[in-house]
Amino acid sequence: MNAMNLLSLEWKKFKNNSVFNLFGVMYLVTYPVVIFIGKELQLPAMVLDTNDFFMFPNNWQWMAYVGNWLVFFFLGFIMMNMITSEVGFKTMRQNIITGMTRKDYFLGKLYTAIAISLATTLYYIICTVAIGFFHNDPYSFANAFDEPIWIFRFFLMSMGYLSFALLIGFVIRRSGVAIFTYTCYILFIELMLKWFVHGKVVSNSSSINYWPLNAIEDLAPLPSWNKLENVPMKDIDFAFLLTPSHAMIASSIYICLFIGLAYWHFMKKDI
Amino acid sequence: MSILTIKNLSKSYGKIQALDNLSLEINAGEVYGILGPNGSGKTTTLGIILGILAANTGSYQWFDGKYGPSHRKRIGAILETPNFYPYKTAEDNLKIVSHIKGSTTDNYDEVLELVNLSHRKKSPFRTYSLGMKQRLAIAATMIGEPDVIIFDEPTNGLDPQGIAEVRQTLTQIASTGKTVIMASHILDEVEKICSHVAIIKNGHLLATGSVGSILSDKVTLELQSANLDGLSSFLANIPWLEKAIRVGDKLEAQMDPTHSIAEVNKLAFEKGITLTHLVSRKQRLEEEFLEITK
Repeated sequence: MNAMNLLSLEWKKFKNNSVFNLFGVMYLVTYPVVIFIGKELQLPAMVLDTNDFFMFPNNWQWMAYVGNWLVFFFLGFIMMNMITSEVGFKTMRQNIITGMTRKDYFLGKLYTAIAISLATTLYYIICTVAIGFFHNDPYSFANAFDEPIWIFRFFLMSMGYLSFALLIGFVIRRSGVAIFTYTCYILFIELMLKWFVHGKVVSNSSSINYWPLNAIEDLAPLPSWNKLENVPMKDIDFAFLLTPSHAMIASSIYICLFIGLAYWHFMKKDI
Repeated sequence: MSILTIKNLSKSYGKIQALDNLSLEINAGEVYGILGPNGSGKTTTLGIILGILAANTGSYQWFDGKYGPSHRKRIGAILETPNFYPYKTAEDNLKIVSHIKGSTTDNYDEVLELVNLSHRKKSPFRTYSLGMKQRLAIAATMIGEPDVIIFDEPTNGLDPQGIAEVRQTLTQIASTGKTVIMASHILDEVEKICSHVAIIKNGHLLATGSVGSILSDKVTLELQSANLDGLSSFLANIPWLEKAIRVGDKLEAQMDPTHSIAEVNKLAFEKGITLTHLVSRKQRLEEEFLEITK
């Protein structure tokens, strides 16, 4: 089956799925809304000028940072649900029995992850450009596309989370346990692993920032980290972030690794 | 033409040996029953030949390798339970099956009519009763006009009416000349529907062949008399009768088919034994099954 055929099959399967629809709509609504919460923040201008959230070109960074959290949560859950619900309904095994090869089944999910990442990147562009345009006085696209690399970083960040969700979904299979593992890994487990391996959660050793989800998060980090890094503080001697190019390279490697492991596991296990 | 060749399949789950060196050959047009008690390896066998379980050793081949890796598109199968998207209607679920099979000529109304579900085609699958779910699964096996249809315990968990409806549908499908493979632990079902049977237990093949050849040609007699002990001694002395056993207040014995029930009656009368009950019946698959799997 070709890519479009597989994507159209996935659409037929999930277009009436309540989790898919609910989380999808929540993502679409929440994403542009969250940035406006910034208008309510009362911060001294020397710490952070909240206009930064809305003006070109810095709003690309802020919108990417908001997307970082929302893609991890809403779209990651959708991706896992598209796998684990099929295990629960036993439609994964039925799809194979009906005639799909395992490879086609896997590719259907992988192409879906790519399609969702492309769609959410397009939505990121639309929201960022619209918000920037309407906050310029007069309305203007000046400086709108000064930093196009953010578009690629956002796509890579989305693929990072979705390929991790793909791996967790195919390996763990049970819906509740998969969501628990996915969330805990990102929020706690990776920090704990850093502690075990490096003896601390932040370190001046550059290797500590190369952990998988750390690298993906660093594709769209909190923009203020950059400001903090410029502050000379003798007691703080560590790198907050990977450099953008290192984050992109490391994330690309992890994405390939997640997809490869998920495929290898799915091809050899009983369904 | 060989539809399915299974060679020396083995599969274990930890220490449990689910299949042990199983070999089978199924030919076109056969209605083939895989019969065995619960846990005998029937579903494991079907799981392996349908690509969802990996065998530890052995191999199988569909259609002499004619369709390559897409051979399952030529097979319609239910394994254990009816598996559909619960939030989708019967019709939408069948469309997904068509999509996977790459079939464009399906008449959903016709297949739903066959299983008496056309009036509920717009209802979500989750609103169906177990019997309706099972019937939808049977309808789904017909999508794409497959060459082979596989049913695994098709009447499991159904009420008597559901069982009767499903059996009627299966008999209808079997009469179309398609190759049907059916796993069941219900002997009556296999005996009524199948032309061939393989009996398995603990993953071993115990017997295989046409239902006629597996069925013994011996005749079972049921006898009753006021003097049951005398009757028992009398039967023990007749060389062409064997295994006279007491079943409730009657005796049962197996008779060589070259002799007749009239001879038994005559000899008993001559020995002064008055029979109050004398019935002959052909030995049923159930008795053979119990005998083979003992």
